[in-house]
Amino acid sequence: MDTEGVQEVAGLLKDLPAERGQLLPALWRVVEHYHALTPALIGAVSEVLGVAYAEVYGVASFYTLFDNIEGTTPVHICTDVMCALQGAEELKAWAEQAAAGLPITVKESACLGQCDHAPAAWIGQKILRRATPQVVQEAVKAVHHG
Amino acid sequence: MGEIRRLLPPHEVRSDPQSAERMRERGFDQALATIWAMNPETVIEWVTASGIKGRGGAAFPTGIKWTSVRQAPGEIKYVVMNADESELGTFKDRVLLEQDPLGALTGLLIAAYAVGARKAFCYIRGEYREVEQALANALETLRQGDWLRGVDVEIRRGAGAYIAGEETALFNSIEGKRPEPRVKPPFPTVKGLWSSPTLIQNVETLANVAVLFAHDVSWFTQYGTPKTPGTKLVALSGHIRRAGVYEVPFGVPLADIVSDPDLGGQVAGSGRLGAVLLGGAAGTFLTPEEVMNHHLDYESLQALGASIGSGAMMFFDDTVDLGWVVARLARFFAEESCGQCVPCRIGTRRLLEIVEAKQWESRVHDVRALAQAMRDASICGLGQTAPLALLSFIERPQLRPHA
Repeated sequence: MDTEGVQEVAGLLKDLPAERGQLLPALWRVVEHYHALTPALIGAVSEVLGVAYAEVYGVASFYTLFDNIEGTTPVHICTDVMCALQGAEELKAWAEQAAAGLPITVKESACLGQCDHAPAAWIGQKILRRATPQVVQEAVKAVHHG
Repeated sequence: MGEIRRLLPPHEVRSDPQSAERMRERGFDQALATIWAMNPETVIEWVTASGIKGRGGAAFPTGIKWTSVRQAPGEIKYVVMNADESELGTFKDRVLLEQDPLGALTGLLIAAYAVGARKAFCYIRGEYREVEQALANALETLRQGDWLRGVDVEIRRGAGAYIAGEETALFNSIEGKRPEPRVKPPFPTVKGLWSSPTLIQNVETLANVAVLFAHDVSWFTQYGTPKTPGTKLVALSGHIRRAGVYEVPFGVPLADIVSDPDLGGQVAGSGRLGAVLLGGAAGTFLTPEEVMNHHLDYESLQALGASIGSGAMMFFDDTVDLGWVVARLARFFAEESCGQCVPCRIGTRRLLEIVEAKQWESRVHDVRALAQAMRDASICGLGQTAPLALLSFIERPQLRPHA
């Protein structure tokens, strides 16, 4: 990443103390700003916080919520036991249909902790409970327009 | 007996859950005034006398833990609220934080005072963004009401890693390292965050502490059993009419949880119970007969090789292929194993292969040998307990359709 890019990341992180313990909050900020965590961005975080590139990479790649396909918005459909029992697979197919041709990645999510309102989906900042195909399709389109 | 509401706010409590008014309505302001007038040792004596045990699953006596951290040598100490609830079928902490975030936070402040910590963390899973906001608002209420008294409370958001909920993995996550569990001992009470003595407690445990000090020990022990006083949150899901989180006294018959109109309200789906998976993904499958004849307490369930765990109860009607459920659980563990130690990394994969091939009968000796190795040689609870649900399924032939 060029100096300008690193400067931009430094600006994003300027109120965080430059220390290892701030790595996770720093990665969240970068992901929420760029909607991606590319090797270049990981390099910039490494430089700004003074933590080795391999260490930052090792941490960043561990967490599933940082694993975004660059330039696409993730849509999470819970497919764990309780949601699977109540139609999660079908819901995922509907979400994929709504997302076709859009910069959206439909992902199977581990348990979202909404088992009492299964099936659940997580789209944008919102958790959808007792999600129906229609609600999911609308939410997918809203994420794209928003 | 039906539902009790002590940890969950009673229905007549109507104030905004994140407001100063709620602090007063629930008596949490009084709880803090009470402990500030005590010395820390007396606070710990109350916790010990109440008989509170950890509600995250391990059921370790809370008073003993607090004493260890208080007595551990070290200038700096930390307290941590573990809100990284990520086990499938488990959602009680979410509901508790939605309905009463000030309770668990008050418990965290009491814990900090008792063990002598100036810095506290709330670690919450990244998927609970709305709950995180509720927690942040409640924290702001505490700040404005001058209830923090110099304790710096920081909310940390996880980023999608079940293993980060394991206490030592959680420390690594906060420290900016990969959330891989550490070998114990040393225990967190002696060497936790940044090698300092650290008290880490589940959300529900801290909520228990808050209601204890909003009342007193004799009030607290009105419910429950002599060995395990108090109430427990249970999270009901699957084929049950009233899926949700309910608060019940320890010792309540499991049958009441299933059928009481204020609790589960009867089996849904086909209306005929096939099995209950009690305690979470690493829990135990119980047959309908076992459910009818046992109570929600550690002694009663021990006879079945089961435990309350987090309080998750997943209901399956008699049409569900439990072999499919076991395969889902095996996949969950294989995906969530951090990969650090071989028994777990390889063991969870082997279990998945065996279960997907439905070879639990033909390879039962392999399963048992593998389970033993995983239990004895894995670094943390994930690997140690991953085979439990499968073993309980194997031990109960009545749960398998005779194809």
